[in-house]
Amino acid sequence: MPRRKPGTLLPLETEILGVALSMLRQGHASFHGFGLAQTMREQSGSRALTGHGTLYKALSRLEEFGLLTSRWEDAAAAEGRPRRRLYELTGEGARVAERVVADSADHAARRPGRVASEPA
Amino acid sequence: MTPERMAELVARWVRLYTRSLPPPIARRRIDEIGADLHDHIAHERGHGTAEWRIALSMAARMVRGLAADLSWRHRTIARSSNPEHATKMSKSTYRSAVRVALATGFILLLPLVAMQITDEVAWDLADFVFAGVLLGGTGLLVELALRRPRNIAYRAVAIAIGVAAIVLGEADDAPGLMLFGGLLIVGTVALTLRTALRSE
Repeated sequence: MPRRKPGTLLPLETEILGVALSMLRQGHASFHGFGLAQTMREQSGSRALTGHGTLYKALSRLEEFGLLTSRWEDAAAAEGRPRRRLYELTGEGARVAERVVADSADHAARRPGRVASEPA
Repeated sequence: MTPERMAELVARWVRLYTRSLPPPIARRRIDEIGADLHDHIAHERGHGTAEWRIALSMAARMVRGLAADLSWRHRTIARSSNPEHATKMSKSTYRSAVRVALATGFILLLPLVAMQITDEVAWDLADFVFAGVLLGGTGLLVELALRRPRNIAYRAVAIAIGVAAIVLGEADDAPGLMLFGGLLIVGTVALTLRTALRSE
């Protein structure tokens, strides 16, 4: 597998940032692993949830890059179930996420093939 | 299979690939996936998904993430081992190898000297090579067993070598080989007892 270039994000990582930004805009500043996987499944229209290893490895990388921060949920809020690890976009993470979302929107708008193939 | 049993299976896998990682990192991954599995079951049950389908979905998530799990483990180990620790380990390995080489050489000197004094001892090159491999291999095994006293594999191999030495010694009428096998077994049992007593 080729090594990634420093400073570049993998598609899954940009997807996570995009979802985190959309959740932030809806007023949900923090998110947890399963909730994220579930939202990503709904947004992509896929039937499968992201694999555990793939998801948490990507989250830990984003945290290492300083784009996400995390903390354990309060025991009281957990109400008896296992405590979730809650993630939030950092200031830098939000900026990168906005740029990523803008880039992907721009990229999608510049794909004439898709527009042309839409039914009239 | 029920979702709970599948969750336990996934949890076992997580415990396996987080073994020997720094405890806070391992604990975090175990707890985080534990919460994920709990949420997954609760969410799917809330939507009326069949039990077998929930278990299958969890298994699929585990399988799809296997490569990433192993890659994460590898990266975590690489990041958590500091150069000072690596140097210490390297020195320790070097000392172990020197100890084993010196002990093997010393023991092999005994028949060599005996051959100069008496005709009762008549070893050829093959005997020295065989004895050298046996002693050196056993020495390395003992060093590994002492470093990782809780690892049962080294002790099992030592016992197996001891039993093989006794059987071969009996068949070949070689009391020295039988004595060696006996000492190896007694030493391994003593090491096991010491580890057990220390862990109490």
